[in-house]
Amino acid sequence: MEAQRKFIVPIGPQHPALKEPGHFQFSVEGEIVTGATVRLGYVHRGIEKGAEARNWTQNLYLFERICGICSHVHATALALGAERLAGVEAPPRAQAIRTLMSELERIHSHMLWLGVAAHEGGFETLFMYSWRDREIVMDLLESLSGNRVNYSVNLIGGVKFDVTEKHHDEILKGIEILEERTKHYLKVVTTDRTFLARTRGVGLMTLQQAELFGAVGPTARASGVARDVRIDAPYEAYPQFPVRLVTDDGGDLLARFKVRTRELFESYRLIREILNHMPPGELTTRVPRRIPAGETISRVEAPRGELFYFIKSNGSEKPERIKVRTPSLCNWASVTQVAIGHKLADMPMILSGIDPCFSCNDRMVTINRGSSSQVWTWEELRRYGIEYYRQR
Amino acid sequence: MKIRLGTMFGDIIRSLFRRPATQLYPYERRPTPERLRGNLVWDPSKCTGCQLCIKDCPSDAIELIVLDKVAKKFVLRYHQDRCTYCAQCVVNCRFKCLNMDDQTWELASVNKEPFTVYYGKDEDVAFLLEKMARDNAGESGCPE
Amino acid sequence: MNNLTVHPLIGLLLFPGGLFLLASGLLYEWIDRKLVARFQNRVGPRFIQPLADLVKLLAKEEISPEGVNKPLFFILPVVALAAALTAALYVPMAGFVPAGSFRGDLIITLYLLSVLTLCLGLAGANTISRFAIIGATRTLTQLFSYEAPFLLALLGPAIAAASWQITDVDFYAQQHLWMAVTQPIGFLVALVGLMGKLELPPFDSPEAETEIVAGAMTEYSGRGYALFRLGKNIELVIGLTLVATFYLGGLANPVQFLIKTLGLLVVLAALQSLFARLRIDQTVGLWWRVGALLALAQLLVLFLLR
Ligand code: SF4
Ligand code: SF4
Repeated sequence: MEAQRKFIVPIGPQHPALKEPGHFQFSVEGEIVTGATVRLGYVHRGIEKGAEARNWTQNLYLFERICGICSHVHATALALGAERLAGVEAPPRAQAIRTLMSELERIHSHMLWLGVAAHEGGFETLFMYSWRDREIVMDLLESLSGNRVNYSVNLIGGVKFDVTEKHHDEILKGIEILEERTKHYLKVVTTDRTFLARTRGVGLMTLQQAELFGAVGPTARASGVARDVRIDAPYEAYPQFPVRLVTDDGGDLLARFKVRTRELFESYRLIREILNHMPPGELTTRVPRRIPAGETISRVEAPRGELFYFIKSNGSEKPERIKVRTPSLCNWASVTQVAIGHKLADMPMILSGIDPCFSCNDRMVTINRGSSSQVWTWEELRRYGIEYYRQR
Repeated sequence: MKIRLGTMFGDIIRSLFRRPATQLYPYERRPTPERLRGNLVWDPSKCTGCQLCIKDCPSDAIELIVLDKVAKKFVLRYHQDRCTYCAQCVVNCRFKCLNMDDQTWELASVNKEPFTVYYGKDEDVAFLLEKMARDNAGESGCPE
Repeated sequence: MNNLTVHPLIGLLLFPGGLFLLASGLLYEWIDRKLVARFQNRVGPRFIQPLADLVKLLAKEEISPEGVNKPLFFILPVVALAAALTAALYVPMAGFVPAGSFRGDLIITLYLLSVLTLCLGLAGANTISRFAIIGATRTLTQLFSYEAPFLLALLGPAIAAASWQITDVDFYAQQHLWMAVTQPIGFLVALVGLMGKLELPPFDSPEAETEIVAGAMTEYSGRGYALFRLGKNIELVIGLTLVATFYLGGLANPVQFLIKTLGLLVVLAALQSLFARLRIDQTVGLWWRVGALLALAQLLVLFLLR
């Protein structure tokens, strides 16, 4: 029996379960998965390199296109970083609008995920309904910004448009319907017997594992990791409108469903609060076209988890280097580990459980060996981090 | 919570007696929101030729062709197929020459020609096109 | 209360075999798709869609992949369709007397209906595509799980009518109270068994597109795929007819046929849209632990009451 070759089921780069190209190899014994590998890189677009040839404003739009779902947070992260380097801060009203858009985006992303995950589990009806209701928030985004995706809200130093009285009412009305529907969906995913059979106890990731694999976002929070950039390092309007942490100790797919749906309620609450306490004032401040030299990091909470930007400016109109670490990249490791021991039929659901985004992972790394590189120990890195934050 | 079978029963029965949520698009067009970022339009009368709009366009979708700088004769060449509809140019223009039309948004075509649009005073556009035709004469249909 | 009869030759080519069956297969597929769509608050396809799909598939090139046994690859869809068509000769299609009928035709019909699934399994195992092989394994696993309960469930009415001939059961059913009322468990098992047989959701793990693309049919394209699909549609009609005949008081005339089978189809479509897909191990567990036991209990009650 030892001579028996492994039976490998390839999934991707083109496969009905994947909406974006990625390649997975599951070695199976019967229906049980015994090993899993991921290969990414089919949609490398050279964005980080492209950034060096564009000015700061143009880069907003380039980075917005890293991900079609969480486009706004990418632009926000870049804008926040650039503003910090320039030593300015967007006016309070602009920050509130950015936050509002972030939360609307989170709703649209989580609703989309709910549908996709249900589809992977073969629950087409839930898929259709959640996407039908997602249209409400898409329409809101469209009526606010003029675009359904890639809303291009940000400018460096502010936002492009205001939220009028009419929008105020429109959003509140939309949110109300959505809240009603979300309650229903939460009930469906937590009580439907057939669906529970596919989610409960599947893809279990313990707290220790989540810490070890460096999981972020709702995926980590579903394993009980209390980590949310909106709470740990509030940015924009989050200090004024604090977020309540949503975690679950389940660690399985069911917990991920619960965490994401409950985050939706949190978003609804935040949106109401922001709308009712919208600070008055300007929408933009002046930011010089040339951003002063320096480097900074900028962290925001994307719908999928922590989004990290490293930004370096050399004082010209164009950035010198922008490095992006997207949340999906942090979550991949968990998939390949968690998959082992599960049935092949569970793979699509485990995959979609982290709400993967493929194109935002794809980047190229060139390692220069033998150059003047430094290796830091964890302790040194930690000290540097503490020092860095003290200086800010 | 109690575990049940067929939790969406109410939904599907209600749907049976409700109009489908699907919009039959080409037959049925929803009114567009006021802020819809549709086709870009340019008003030549106010333009000063400052080129600020061009500088920040992320996709090089607009070009300002200067015919006569003193007499303020400009033609704006707009490439719909490159435009990302981000409205950065609209924000940049201090004289409010640029605008995004909320009615024209069905901008699909089977070939590339209709995507290059010339804006400007009629005589300026005619002059430019004529000049281009003259320059291109002899060469066999070279794309710009 | 008697069924109508048709000439054997017409029976073979036009009605209830041949053309009529093909047409009704397409019609029922459309109704099924439309209903599911409406349940999901969508518009759904127009009535011409299944026919358009069929014509399109027939017009397409049929690609035979590397590593298959060619004759087998081409003959399997034909056999599958032929088996489904033949099965129609023994059931009271549209309320007419079956074209052919003899003692024990119930068993033949059930086996003919299984031939399609067997062909599917073989077709999957014939290719070297991994998706198809897994699909084939699942198809056959599922076959072994629902077949017994389904058979037992259809046996109930047959025992009540004391005959293995479908027409006899039909007459018996027409003269008695609906057996869906007297044998509710058997009715349920038969209905759900039919869903398993047709690989409809939630029992569609053999062709779960998010895992194994199209299961056993992954490598099929063009004509072969069209024939398989057609076979399935026809099986849907025959299955509905069988269940309606046995459990819903028989089919005496076309009107009854339409009302009863369509009623069943509505229930089937609703069931399809209510559940998440079961994993294959869950399907098997469900059938053996619940389905088979229920069907057996039903039979036991039947024997005791006689
Ligand atoms: S909308 Fe954006 S992409 Fe289009 S022309 Fe204006 S700046 Fe360029
Ligand atoms: S920014 Fe306005 S004024 Fe300046 S060139 Fe563009 S359209 Fe003309």
